[in-house]
Amino acid sequence: MDSSSFSYLESRKLVKRWNGPIPALVNTLLIAAFFYLTWWIFQDPRGMMRMYTPYVGYMVCRWLLILFIWVAYIFDFWPFKRSWLTRTHPLVKGTVLTLFSVAAMVLLIKGFFVDILGNFGIAYFNPDRLIEMGITDFYSIEYAAEAIMMFAAIASWLSPSWVVACENAPWAKLRQPARGITIVLVTFFFSMIVYFLTMHSHMAILFYPWQKYTAICPPYWEDFANTVSGNFHIAWIMCCTVVVWLYETIWERYPFNLIKTDWLRRTASFFGIIAIALALCYFLYYAQDLVWGSTIRGTRRLMAPDWRWLHVGEMAIFWLVPTLYLNFYCGNWPNKFSRPVNVCLRTLLTAVMAVVVYVIYYKTSHLFLGTQKGFSHPQQFPMIPMIWLINIFLINVWFMDGWPGWKAVPKTEAELEHVHAEVVATDVKWSSTLAKGLAVGLAAGIALYALIINVLPWIGANLTIIE
Amino acid sequence: MSNDKKVSRRDFMKGAATGLCVGAFAGMGLYSYSPWAYSRLPKVQRKLEDFGACRSVRVTNISETSWFNNAHLIGDIHEAGGLLVNQYTLNWAPFANGKGSAKGSYDEAMATIKDLIPHDLEKAWEIQKGLSLHPENPGGYSCLIEVEALDGTITKYLLDTGWSYEWMDASFKREGIDEMLKAHEIEALFISHEHWDHFWGLPVTTKYDPRIPLYVHDGFYKEGLQYIKDCKHTGDLKVIKDPVTRIESGMALLKFDVPIINRVFGETSLAFNVQGKGLVLISGCCHQGILQFADFAYTNLKYDNDRFYGIYGGLHISPFEDWDPKYDDLVISLGKWGFERIGCNHCTGHLTAKKFIEAGYPVVRGTARFRSASKDYLGNGDKIAFGC
Repeated sequence: MDSSSFSYLESRKLVKRWNGPIPALVNTLLIAAFFYLTWWIFQDPRGMMRMYTPYVGYMVCRWLLILFIWVAYIFDFWPFKRSWLTRTHPLVKGTVLTLFSVAAMVLLIKGFFVDILGNFGIAYFNPDRLIEMGITDFYSIEYAAEAIMMFAAIASWLSPSWVVACENAPWAKLRQPARGITIVLVTFFFSMIVYFLTMHSHMAILFYPWQKYTAICPPYWEDFANTVSGNFHIAWIMCCTVVVWLYETIWERYPFNLIKTDWLRRTASFFGIIAIALALCYFLYYAQDLVWGSTIRGTRRLMAPDWRWLHVGEMAIFWLVPTLYLNFYCGNWPNKFSRPVNVCLRTLLTAVMAVVVYVIYYKTSHLFLGTQKGFSHPQQFPMIPMIWLINIFLINVWFMDGWPGWKAVPKTEAELEHVHAEVVATDVKWSSTLAKGLAVGLAAGIALYALIINVLPWIGANLTIIE
Repeated sequence: MSNDKKVSRRDFMKGAATGLCVGAFAGMGLYSYSPWAYSRLPKVQRKLEDFGACRSVRVTNISETSWFNNAHLIGDIHEAGGLLVNQYTLNWAPFANGKGSAKGSYDEAMATIKDLIPHDLEKAWEIQKGLSLHPENPGGYSCLIEVEALDGTITKYLLDTGWSYEWMDASFKREGIDEMLKAHEIEALFISHEHWDHFWGLPVTTKYDPRIPLYVHDGFYKEGLQYIKDCKHTGDLKVIKDPVTRIESGMALLKFDVPIINRVFGETSLAFNVQGKGLVLISGCCHQGILQFADFAYTNLKYDNDRFYGIYGGLHISPFEDWDPKYDDLVISLGKWGFERIGCNHCTGHLTAKKFIEAGYPVVRGTARFRSASKDYLGNGDKIAFGC
């Protein structure tokens, strides 16, 4: 089997340079230091560039995430040659690929969104046009950044979905850059449609009077979501983004990879991810109502439905951090059981770790991020530091082969076969015993859910995260 | 164990593990946002704390114009790095050191005027104007609250003390506040929150009455607490820790722990029970949200007719004439709460007032005097009464 028929990420294996937990510890320390250094330089409100205005910083970290996905997943590092990827020192590679991504991001934001779309299509993408119409400079930039960021939120779900769920179909056999360009254009096109269906009305309401001739105001979700804010869509779209990565990493594409028919597996994966994301979205919203009480439409912050929807997305991102960490730095532990058991244990473990990260973040982040304590500061988005951290994970693992704790080696024939086995799995077969287990598991899952929703009000009444 | 049993157990575990995840997600998806789920939520247990009643409350708007040019204010914030930057570093008077945007320092600024406040505010402000960004922009927020007890006794309070020494001193003189302070007629000063436009004008109050009792939220930072000392305040400083603090019959101070822009934490607002009328809410900026304020009062306090009666103050909706769809949630919802008199201004934003009026809400109009920009709400020098 030829490794060139696989993507670079599929063709390499990351091998620890040292035994035991030392590689993970070393990388964690370096990542933490790099996070804090770059946070101070670019984002921190007390730092140098202070992009955390908040929307400018929000836009930048989200678009960086997408560019990393495009570079590594969709373009398979084109125009960089495979030989360059395998021979270049990880530090050089990481620097070059990161700067390349940043340049592409600037070109996209400034070139496409601001200069083309903002000058010839939709005014709110261009801050200068808003300033000309009398909106203050600061809010003109914030509004434009918000719109561009919202587009990124959608693309960060659809772009990896096409690779992970749809397996690059029907363009998987195209060579680069044809495949990359095609998938980027297609996902960009779908992102544009989803943007108009979910976010355009939100932006239209920003201006007085409501821009009823150009967008549906009030939007169709008002009664269902109890708000006219597009944060409702941020909630489920962020959950989609997170579930895509759960599916790709700790779930090893289980259970949809049991479907052998290509089109059915891909369709089931794509819509299954959305279904799971919606379930997660509704649960996280309900969980907040159980802990903090019912929302009050029209108020602000903690009790407002728009903020609760936003916080659904934020909580989902808190799950993504331990998920990627487990996959990247802990060898997707545990691995010794069957795939379904491994997946179940990883899911439970990362969910618990997400709660831990969440609690630690809200208890301590204001001490070192230049932010304020509190859940619902209207200008603070925990997604910004979390995605910033995730971006650094991706630079480290995708662009630098996990340096310094890991190094890349080519996969063997057998290991390349395993890549295929993950796309279409045969390790779970239907049997009466499996059916019994499934029935028992279903009952246990429902019981677990019931237990959680019954414990949450007690947690709300008895535990305080922020003193 | 036989191989068959092993395989069988392995299959069972595969099914159980898959089922556990599927069952949990199915429960989440099918139940969480359903009417059945919400019917389980516990009903709010109202405490109905009796804090007495008063006959009426009168509010005189000393100043609602906290700043005169939105673009300058928000431009300075933008230049400094946005809405999370520490307000004491913005290089606005009286905490300017002449080093430019985001390089301000409490200590360096205070060194230039410490010996002058509060007795020589003109000179202190002049020095600070020379060091600060947009020195002509500051105004301030402050109002006089007169509470008429059931026996007819009237007690006066100040809510906030503005920003510019120059502007606030003139505003105090215009409304006779200076003389009231000198005569110790004002019972206490409540600082709603630590923001520049509500708190930084403190020496204008201490100039006339340094012994006035002062109420602040316990989220005040060390700079704010030091400033109180540097303003030569000699009176009782009450750092509020409790959610509800009764001030007098029919008057309570409510505390909200909310993070606010430019590194401020927490706000306190006032609630009144006007006999025969109902609940009146008075706020500085109401960063907690007016409906959260009302809901907190509903949950905790007992008031006549169980009715929301009036609002006065900044509602912090579009203070910089910015907008967000969530603000429309308030415009859409406010009518359901049944307030009879809405006296809004300051950080409510002109656009919000306009939308309230368009929605048919009982907004009390103003006269747009003394540099207030719109008649859509209560401007400088305007008064509103509840229960008279």
